[in-house]
Amino acid sequence: MTAFVQRNPAWSLIIVVVAAALLWAIIAPWPPGFEEVFGRKQIFLNALFNGITLGALYFLVASGFTLIFGLMKNVNLAHGALYLLGGYIGYEVADATGYWLFSFIAAFVIIGLAGIVLQYVVFRRMEGEDLRQTLVTIGISIVMADLMLWAWGGSAYQILTPQWLSGPLTLPIVAGMRGDEVVYLRYPFVRLAILVAAIVIGVLMWLALNRTKIGMLIRAGVDDRDMLAATGARVQLVFVIVFAFGAGLAGVAGVVGGTFQSVAPGEDIRFLLASLVVVIVGGMGSILGAAIGAVLIGLAEQFGSVYFPTYSVVFTFMIMVVVLAFRPQGLMGRG
Amino acid sequence: MAVRDHADVSATSGGIRTHTNYLGWLESVHPAYWLLAILLLFMPAFAGSFWLFQVWGWAFILGTIALSLMFLAGYGGMVSLVQMTIAGLAGYMVAILGASGVSGISMGWPQWVAVPIAIVVAAIFGTLVGALAVRTRGIYTIMITLAVAAGFFYLTRQNYTIFNGYTGFGGIQPPHLFGVNMRQPVHFYYLSLACAVLSFLAVVYVSRSPFGLALQGIRDNPRRMAALGYNVTAHRIAAYTFASVIAAVGGILLTWQNAQIAPASVGIGPVIDILIIAIVGGIGHPIGAFIGAFIYVILRLFSPDMLMALGLPGDRFRTLIGLGFLLIVFWSPDGVLGLWQQLKERMRDNAGFTGLGGAGER
Amino acid sequence: MNVSVAERLHATGTGSALELRGVTRMFGALAALVDVTMTIEPGERRAVLGSNGAGKTTLFNCITGDFFSTSGTVRLFGEDVTHFPAHERIRRGLRRTYQISLLFTGLTVLDNVYLAVRGVSRGRFSLIRPRRSEALMQSAVELIEAVHLTDVRDTKVSELAYGQQRQLEIALALAGAPRLILFDEPAAGLSPTERSELVEILTNMPRHIGYIIIEHDMDVALRVAERVSMMHNGRIFKEGLPEEIESDPEVQELYLGGGHG
Repeated sequence: MTAFVQRNPAWSLIIVVVAAALLWAIIAPWPPGFEEVFGRKQIFLNALFNGITLGALYFLVASGFTLIFGLMKNVNLAHGALYLLGGYIGYEVADATGYWLFSFIAAFVIIGLAGIVLQYVVFRRMEGEDLRQTLVTIGISIVMADLMLWAWGGSAYQILTPQWLSGPLTLPIVAGMRGDEVVYLRYPFVRLAILVAAIVIGVLMWLALNRTKIGMLIRAGVDDRDMLAATGARVQLVFVIVFAFGAGLAGVAGVVGGTFQSVAPGEDIRFLLASLVVVIVGGMGSILGAAIGAVLIGLAEQFGSVYFPTYSVVFTFMIMVVVLAFRPQGLMGRG
Repeated sequence: MAVRDHADVSATSGGIRTHTNYLGWLESVHPAYWLLAILLLFMPAFAGSFWLFQVWGWAFILGTIALSLMFLAGYGGMVSLVQMTIAGLAGYMVAILGASGVSGISMGWPQWVAVPIAIVVAAIFGTLVGALAVRTRGIYTIMITLAVAAGFFYLTRQNYTIFNGYTGFGGIQPPHLFGVNMRQPVHFYYLSLACAVLSFLAVVYVSRSPFGLALQGIRDNPRRMAALGYNVTAHRIAAYTFASVIAAVGGILLTWQNAQIAPASVGIGPVIDILIIAIVGGIGHPIGAFIGAFIYVILRLFSPDMLMALGLPGDRFRTLIGLGFLLIVFWSPDGVLGLWQQLKERMRDNAGFTGLGGAGER
Repeated sequence: MNVSVAERLHATGTGSALELRGVTRMFGALAALVDVTMTIEPGERRAVLGSNGAGKTTLFNCITGDFFSTSGTVRLFGEDVTHFPAHERIRRGLRRTYQISLLFTGLTVLDNVYLAVRGVSRGRFSLIRPRRSEALMQSAVELIEAVHLTDVRDTKVSELAYGQQRQLEIALALAGAPRLILFDEPAAGLSPTERSELVEILTNMPRHIGYIIIEHDMDVALRVAERVSMMHNGRIFKEGLPEEIESDPEVQELYLGGGHG
């Protein structure tokens, strides 16, 4: 940190100024002239919170994708299909049992098992042939998407938010003034809960990878499989566990997405795309990179759709292009 | 070919062919091609307009677009999923610059102005995407081009000022060449055939030119090529430009054939279909793109009947395509062409086996 | 970076063939090259010796631009090429061969050499197919003759014997108008007869072409070189005439001791 400041005094100053301006824009009530230029503060705050919470959802999907790629160099383009299947399973379970939380467990377990099948049937047979793996997973996602369309039809499903999470929460942030009265920001409780859950999952994943024995085993496996095998660790078992966990995360994300938005055909592509962009921006195989990329993309999408409605996608891609142009390995990617 | 990571040049190129006389060149064309040429030239004499327009016309167009992918993947080792997007952009440009049912956006310029500009715009776009994609290698190329393709799809869907959003452009005027309506089945058949053949010949010719040879050298061994004085990045980007022009030709034809272009034409489905066509046909030779396209079109048009005949729901076409694709990728990385090669080799081995057996007993 | 034509013309022709100044290359925390300073005069023939892992191949990679050096400057024929990509350095008359053959195995010998000749000439992007009579094709044919490969000119490289592949490597390095060639263990894996043939090819090269050779075979190295640099742990610790190096006690202890004892 101090080293960075010493090396880049100008950039450090800019970062501090921007951060301060952002903090002011979030906390302080906006003066009328400012609102005339930038629109109502309520809209800005909503875009900000929607962007961050959408980023949390993207993180859940993309972290599984990046985990699998980073550790095993497997590109699983069926990740979007696993996400969508998780959403449908979550919907069915929540609908049948009435327990929202139970649908998470079901989606995690079932999609995790699907991941194990994928690992055994596809990736183990084609170790090292990344192009073939990619083609096979494209084929699998085509078939899965069509079969899901067959089973659930073309309509959208929404997973209902449970009673105890529904309704808005009032946050200690000024949204605007109604006369002399201060209006505080009210924001859906469920979205905030999921944001917190995503942060907790992210931190746990980071800790598991960097501070535990199995995490070190996994990271050793990335750098040198033979060495890992030589220590007596059961490489294949470690990989199966990681694959199951990464796929399971996609399933969980599907339930979250079904609660936030909806479960519908085409969402698989949308979230596969989001995962791709997030990991390209954040850097392959980096959990922290996935988090940064996810929040950036989430914010770009939401601010874009509020302030530049018909070009919002362009923003997402501008971020990708700029990152690729200056840092082809991604923001947090290694060398 | 691209499925194997380090395939050698031999299967695809045959190296530099120096041509000493043209008769020799004519003789070098495989007899099967002569047969095919005669068959295709006289097709309208015995095929109905459904076959000419829907089956053959469509196969030529999809084959041309898949050919642009084959060129990048087979000769350059770069599997680009953005080819359908480039084709779609060219189609959109023809709709926007030329005449369509959306008079508020379309400028109504004559085709001979709109078409070249459309091709140039598509080529520039393809070059830019290429410049982005070649910054990374291998599997990243697929991811980046897929992301760009998806981004273009969402942009056309949400943007109404240029791309007319969800509905896109309908009522696109078919071209009139020499006072002849080119959308009339027989004429369209010949137009698409001519474009496909020209693109095919262009790819074959370029693959054996110094540029094409250098590209194949770069595919096999980029570091060595740099050590021979080649600018690896510039060659890769130039390959994208060349492939973009071919894709653009296919895209314009596709727009004329459908008389419309919409986001659905550039969605992830069609983007992946082009990959499937190229892989299924076989990425080792330019003809594979057209074989794949023909198989795809036949399946696409007739699978509902076939599925229903088997007592299955007729709209599960994509499952069928997906499974077929999986079978090919699992068992024949070089596609149908690879299967054909394997078959030929097996027959030759069987024939040669007896002879060798005799020799072995000496 | 931006050098005017006049400056370049001035720079070329004067100066040494190669001038390394304080070249260092780090791989993470590992220093593969440490502060290497070295000058090669035009037409000079130099051997670089040292044990495995001494940094010889890394030195070559930094000279050709396969990797960039972490710090220090590289000048080729007086021109600062430190930040030039490999192909730009090659076009200035530098060539190299590789330790592990990096040939285009699916192409014929002629196509391989043609690619090399084409790489350092204009028309790399040409879409026109070459004719037999073309000048570049001619010089490719001549190069093949120079390395005694005419018999296998139209054979695929994958079907060549190992020694022939090494000879082809040399032909690729001779393409165009080389002024300085880096040979990375050209004698590795060759039979005694092939070795003497190699020595003959090297010693008979035109006098204006200089080269640096990395070689484990002391007999080959000392016969084809005019000066010798000794490397150890990424540093050059001794430079001198072949006889001096051969008789140097420190060198014998460090390097020759193991090999000759």
